[in-house]
Parts: sequence; C-alpha cells; structure tokens
Amino acid sequence: MAFAVSLAFSLAMLLLGAAVYYASHSALSRQMDTSIQEAQTGLVSEFHTDGLAGLEEAIRQREGSGRDTLGYALFDAKGHRFAGHLNATMPHVGWATISFLDPVEGPDPARALTTRLAGGYRLLVAGDLEPVEQIDVTILSIFAVAFAGVLLIGIVGALAFGGYLRRRLARIEETAGAIVAGDLSRRMVVGPREDEFDRVAASLNLMLDRIASLVANLRQVTTDLAHDLRTPLARLRNQLETLGNQTRPGPARATVEDAVERADEVLKLFEAILRISELEQGSLRSRFAPVDLCKLIRELGETHAPLAEDTGRSLTIEAEGQCIVYGDREFIAQALINLIENAFRHTPEGTPILIGASESFQGPCAFVQDYGPGIAKHDRQRVFERFVRLEAARSSPGHGLGLSLVRAIADAHDAEIMTSGTGGLGVFLRFPPCQCSGQLDRTAKNVA
Amino acid sequence: MRILIAEDDVETAGFVRDGLGDLGHDVIVTGDGSDALNAALTDSFDLLILDRMLPGLDGLSVARRVREADLSVSVLMLTALGQIEDRVEGLDAGADDYLVKPFAFSELAARVNALGRRPPSQTITKLRAGGIEMDLLTRAVRRDGKSIQLQPREFQLLEELLRHAGEFVTRMMLLERVWDFHFDPQTKIVETHMSRLRAKLNECGLPDAIETERGVGYRIRAE
Repeated sequence: MAFAVSLAFSLAMLLLGAAVYYASHSALSRQMDTSIQEAQTGLVSEFHTDGLAGLEEAIRQREGSGRDTLGYALFDAKGHRFAGHLNATMPHVGWATISFLDPVEGPDPARALTTRLAGGYRLLVAGDLEPVEQIDVTILSIFAVAFAGVLLIGIVGALAFGGYLRRRLARIEETAGAIVAGDLSRRMVVGPREDEFDRVAASLNLMLDRIASLVANLRQVTTDLAHDLRTPLARLRNQLETLGNQTRPGPARATVEDAVERADEVLKLFEAILRISELEQGSLRSRFAPVDLCKLIRELGETHAPLAEDTGRSLTIEAEGQCIVYGDREFIAQALINLIENAFRHTPEGTPILIGASESFQGPCAFVQDYGPGIAKHDRQRVFERFVRLEAARSSPGHGLGLSLVRAIADAHDAEIMTSGTGGLGVFLRFPPCQCSGQLDRTAKNVA
Repeated sequence: MRILIAEDDVETAGFVRDGLGDLGHDVIVTGDGSDALNAALTDSFDLLILDRMLPGLDGLSVARRVREADLSVSVLMLTALGQIEDRVEGLDAGADDYLVKPFAFSELAARVNALGRRPPSQTITKLRAGGIEMDLLTRAVRRDGKSIQLQPREFQLLEELLRHAGEFVTRMMLLERVWDFHFDPQTKIVETHMSRLRAKLNECGLPDAIETERGVGYRIRAE
C-alpha cells in the first residue's frame, strides 16, 4: 500500500520533470529560432537596400559587435563562402540543423536558416545549440538528483511506515486471535504516544472489557441459578420419590418415577454447570497428582467396549506403556469420557472409533478420533463453548455442556485442545510435559 | 440402627430424620457440632451423619475427635458441592463415606444401609446370595452350581452387590467402588455393564438375579 503510493508519487514526479524539460527546451528553441529569423530578416533587407556590399558590411558589423551570439555565412552560387566567419558547408534552403567548425571546440551542431538571395547567393544565419543543450543538461541533472531524492525518501518512508503499520496491525491481529481462541482476558497494547492506533486500541479494549463483563455476568447468572435452584429442586425430587414410594405400583407410580428422572436430569445439568465454574475458579491444582494417561485410556476403553459393541461401533485402543501427566485423574477421565460419548453420540452406528494416549514431542497427549462425518472446520473450536450445540446435533440428546466441560478441564490442566478433520473428528488433549520425573518411580507404583 | 444427625439446616435435618425413621431407624438430630460430639462420646450410636459446616464445632473436627476416642461408629459426611477438597479431607478425618448435598434420599438410605451392614472383617473369601457363589481368591463365580465367566468390571459389580446382598446399591456407589469415579460421568456405563452381568447370570432362562429399582439402584436378593 505504502509502496503503491510512493510509486504513484514517483511517476507523477517523472511526468512533471518531463513536462518541465520539454517546455523549457521548446521555449529556448523557439527563442533561438526567433532571433535567427529576425537577424535573417534584417540582413535580407540590408541586401535589398544596399546590395551585396551592404550585406557584407552588416555581417562584419554584427560579427564584430561581440554581443551577437549568432554566426553568419554568405555563399556564392557555387557554394563558396566569401563572407562571415561561420565555418560550414552550404546547407539547403530553409531550416536545418547543421554542423560547423568551432575554432575552439571543433565541430559543433547549430540551428540554421538559409535564404536564397538574388544572384544565386545564399545567406546562412545559425545559432549555436550548445547553450540550449547546456540548459537541457542542467535541467536534467537537477531533475535526476531531485528524482533520486524523492525516490529514496519514498522507498525508505514506505518501508518504515509500512513496517510500522504492519507491526501495529500484527499486534492487534495477534491479540484478536488469542481472544477468538478463547482467552477473553487479553487486551490490545496501548502505547504512550496516543496516536490513532493507540486510540483505536483503547476503544477496542473498552469494547472487550464490556464483552468480558457481559460474558462473566452471563456465567455468574448461570452458575448462581444452578446453585440456587439445586437445593429446592433436590427437595422437590425427594418429595416426589417419597410420593412414589407411597404409591402402589401402576401408572400413577410410573408417572411419578418419570418425574423423578426428569428432575435428576436437571440436577445433572446444574451439576455440570457448577463443575465448570469450580474448574474455572482454578482451585483444582492443589490436588494434582501424577496420572498415567495410557492406563486411564485402557480403563476407559475397557469400560466403553460394551457400549461400542451394543451400538455396532468398533472401539480401538492405542495406549501402550506409560504416559504420565500431572493432574486430576477423575477430571481427566471425565474429559475423555465426554469426548468418547460425543464420538458415540454424533456418529452413525457402525462407525470405527479410535482412542489412545502417547508421549508426543511436545508433551503427553490423549486423543479420541472417530471416522464419522466430522464437523466443519469453523465449528470445531466453537463446540467447546458453553451450551453450543451445532444445528445437526439438535435432534440428539445432551445439554451442550459436555465439550465445554472438556475445555474447562483442559484449561485447568494447561492442556491444549486440538482438533483435526482427517477421517471424521479427532480431538487431541495435549498436556504440558510432566515436571515430575523425580516422582516417576513412586508414580509407577501408585498408578500400577 | 441408632443414628445421630448433626445438621444445622432444619429442613434437611427434618427430611432426613423422617425418611430414616420411616425405614425403622432410631434417629436423633442436633444442629450444633459440640452437642453432636458430646452425644457421640456419651451415648452409643451405630452411625453419625455429620454436616461439614456446623455451628459450635465443624463436622471434620467432630469426626476426628470421634476417631481419636476410638469409637466403633460409622461416620457419613455431608458436603456441599464446590469444595473439591472436601471428600479427601473428610475421608482423612476418619469418615467412612461422604455424600454431596443436595442428595437424593434413596442415595442416603442406600449408603446408610451399606454402612450399617459393614462386614466385621475384610478377610472373607467367599460371598454367597440368591444362589450365586463368588470366590474372591480364585475369582470363580457360580450360579446354582454352574460356572459363569465374567469380565473384571462385571466381577467387581457382582462383588459389590453380593457384599450388600438384600440392600440397594446405587449407581453412584458403583461408580465410586468399581470405577473409582467420585463424580457422575453422566453416561450409561453402569447400566451397560450391569446388563451384561445380568445377561450372563440369567443364562438358560433362569429368573432375574438382579433387581432394578428405578431412580434407586440395584439389589441382589439375600435369601
């Protein structure tokens, strides 16, 4: 952008230079032509009044005056110069550019006008083109220097300004990316200069503060609601249960039992909400201990094998050996169960599902990969937000909290959630490398 | 059973007292921690149900002091969700079981029964109920003399049911004891494994060995 502007500016400069050069060159040429014409006219009228001798005398006078910059030559019919000092061969009649022999500089180009006189004589009046050329050269060199200067300023300016723009925009872009990825606490950098960028950054930050507080409010309201409604709902549930126990088996009792199950579902939803908020408050770390991801995956694989079998899906487990992370076993299990359940829920019957854990280059990693229809790329991070249920999944059961719980658990463990679209949907939980190598021996015993 | 409930929330205390009373237990309620400790030390109870947050003396301290006094009484802690540390602390303080509030009464009743029927020693090697025999050492299972092959989880499920034969065992109890999950993963893993176990036990058209009570849990008949 900055380069385009300086390029356009340089082009304009170039056009301006060309115009100045052309205008001054043609003005000077015209001026020379006019003085040649005037001298010619004067000399011709001299010839008409005083004859050849008068003309020769006039030429001598002009050449002798010292002020005259023009050169003169008078040729006889045979083409021999017999008057005037201009050392040139006889040109044709009319305007021409001739070459004459300068006594000092040697051959030199000149602008010449030749007139045929009575008696076969020809009068040549010429102006040396050198002054014009010198002025041309001067203009051109001044312009070249100016152009080079402008070009240099343009390029350096474009580089510096463009770089500055890019740097500022890259910082805004990077922050925006982090916020999109879920870190609502990130803010734009506001510099001390208070330039346009700083002002934009400051107002973006105000906007982000507002959004963050709305999101926090929303979460708080959800959490408070879940918290406050749990106790009365549990009481209602217990009263229903008591009623059920007092009712004789039959349709009335079945209805009451249905109602108890409905209440249990709502209680579970509230529990999930409270669990997420518990995780987000971050008090979990104090009870972290080494956990063997491979062993956990094997246990979960064994636990879910009958579920897979019942629905015609094949569940393959890839978790050889040991793979230690520092975390909470039950929460990690919860996250993995939710991912496995999700794979079961959103793939057609008969879909192969692969779960596993391994020590990757950047840290221990657990994954759940299905070979179902997958989900669109732009939805893949979105599904980890609270209550987000993709349109296609609306018809299947679930409250839209399962994957946001996965995200809250991953965040609490500083683990990264990565998704891939190869096959169907693959979700990877990559944990930070375990800093507990000293505890490994003890760990191996604990988790064995 | 003689049960002491230390709970300062009158409504919860009342509903627990009424419910357990209906089940034939002898229930005494107090709303203060120091009173609860005094009663536990001077009177004789089979079970203490202690809320964690109590005026006077908190539930954890009551449990600790009861254990220090070497009383052979079971302790069930009631905790509020949101305090992740509570379960560990409660068990460290000497509680035998814990329950997160608010709870379903059937869950409490099942746990109270389980605590009341705690076997005197863990050294038993054979469990037997309803025509089913389980050898914990050889891991052999028979129904009416016929051998049955079980997967490890199915074996553990059956073991829990047999240990509490005649009583209901809840889903949450099975999750805790078989899977070591102290949370509800909100999946059908218990149901799925239970139906496998049931299918294996009931092969050849035998009557159903496991009774399911909706919203409560599973039970194996004791006779």
